[in-house]
Amino acid sequence: MPDDQTLAETLARRGVSRRTFLKFCATMASLMAMPPAMAAQMAEKLARAKRQSVIWLSFQECTGCTESITRSHSPTIESLIFDAISLDYHHTLQAASGTAAEAARQHAMKNNYGKYLLVVDGSVPTKDGGVYSTIAGVSNVDMLVETAKGAAAIIAVGTCAAYGGIPKANPNPTGAVAVSDIIADKPIINVPGCPPIPVVMTGVIAHVLTLDTIPELDELGRPKVFFGDTIHDRCYRRPFYDQGKFAKSFDDEGARNGWCLFELGCKGPTTHNACATTKWNGGVSFPIESGHGCLGCSEPDFWDAGSFYTALSMPADPVKYTAAAALAGAAVGVAMSFASRAKKADAKAAHRTATLADLKK
Amino acid sequence: MNDLKGIPIAIAGVCDGLALSGNAGPVLHEVRSLLNDLVTSGKSASIDLRSLPLLPGDYEKLKVVLGQGEVSATLEALGVTHVRETAIHGVWWVTHYNSDATIIAEFIEVTTMPEILRTHPADARAGLDLLQSRLTPAIETGRGDGDA
Repeated sequence: MPDDQTLAETLARRGVSRRTFLKFCATMASLMAMPPAMAAQMAEKLARAKRQSVIWLSFQECTGCTESITRSHSPTIESLIFDAISLDYHHTLQAASGTAAEAARQHAMKNNYGKYLLVVDGSVPTKDGGVYSTIAGVSNVDMLVETAKGAAAIIAVGTCAAYGGIPKANPNPTGAVAVSDIIADKPIINVPGCPPIPVVMTGVIAHVLTLDTIPELDELGRPKVFFGDTIHDRCYRRPFYDQGKFAKSFDDEGARNGWCLFELGCKGPTTHNACATTKWNGGVSFPIESGHGCLGCSEPDFWDAGSFYTALSMPADPVKYTAAAALAGAAVGVAMSFASRAKKADAKAAHRTATLADLKK
Repeated sequence: MNDLKGIPIAIAGVCDGLALSGNAGPVLHEVRSLLNDLVTSGKSASIDLRSLPLLPGDYEKLKVVLGQGEVSATLEALGVTHVRETAIHGVWWVTHYNSDATIIAEFIEVTTMPEILRTHPADARAGLDLLQSRLTPAIETGRGDGDA
């Protein structure tokens, strides 16, 4: 497909109407908390956009991020955005292999120098000269530095690329680090999650293509529109937390009634992500809706933050439900959030290892 | 929002037995303000209902107050989209569904014609080309109508 085609032309050839595209933009604008009037402008801008060159590097990872993004229900509105880009290198998805694959990366870098988007999933091993993960004989760290030079911006997809993730978990045998630990002179957008939510990834790309800017980021480099709230803030079980109604085990009355999973180790209060609103599997549900607490996978060092099944912190006095319960709950929630962060830091400092016994608690 | 129906807690205020947050009223006043803008300056606007904390009762109240008008359209665009004018002329209710029939976006649009129903000028040009291509062979061969 010619790269000089506009997105509207590309989509038309695939039988996607302009109205479908406008619907996509209205949905994206809504998800990104943009004013509804932005949808029409977004559609006009995106329709005229030429295909954006994207180079996708997969380092020390499990391919879960790519699975998440490519295995969403098809056809979906959000999958349309992938028609908007020219994915010039992705060693899991591309047909080429070996020398031809690396030539495709070099070609894309040369032809789009200073303009291409670099997407990275996986952490970067640095120990022993980076020998623990190489592609075509080139260490991940060298490939990242070389490819980042000509990138307009970098999107670190998944918790591994954003914060080191599971490869970085204690004892971190490969010296794994995040993209931002290596690259300091390019804008980096972190889209963490293990894996990240497909539509969040799509939204970030749509934002960059539409507005020619990177979205507003929080202190951990995450787009605020998707990571501004905690899971707890937007959880449909939050009213039970405010009432002090907690499941004590996974098969007790509380669990059957859908009460709050805080005491079963839910990390929702300290985890910033959009699972509770965008949900998973085409909007079917998210982990808490399926009866399991949040693991906190979009936060740095989530794997080393103690057992998944130990409560972040316990209220000194059970929260009593009163007429002002919502207010009280919010205040307690904030206090617990700070307490939980402190506990998480303590756990990390103590290098505590989760045991089988922990999992059975 | 439907999930909230299953949560056995009491929330003050109901509409047709459904919980109300009290936010329907302010939304209706915003609609009135936007409709006033449309009347006085021709400016269109819309409200993203999914961005607001509305409970099922709030939706019901909005639907009761705005009512059902005489225009209704359905689009098939990677899932259905329903567009209908409410009983308040110039106020439209637009609901986008995905291919699994789940609502993915919902708006109240205050406009003379929702954007998604308009024919884009580029599409009109493409339509002209298409019609021209269907007519030309028929004229040249002297064949009649309806054989495109």
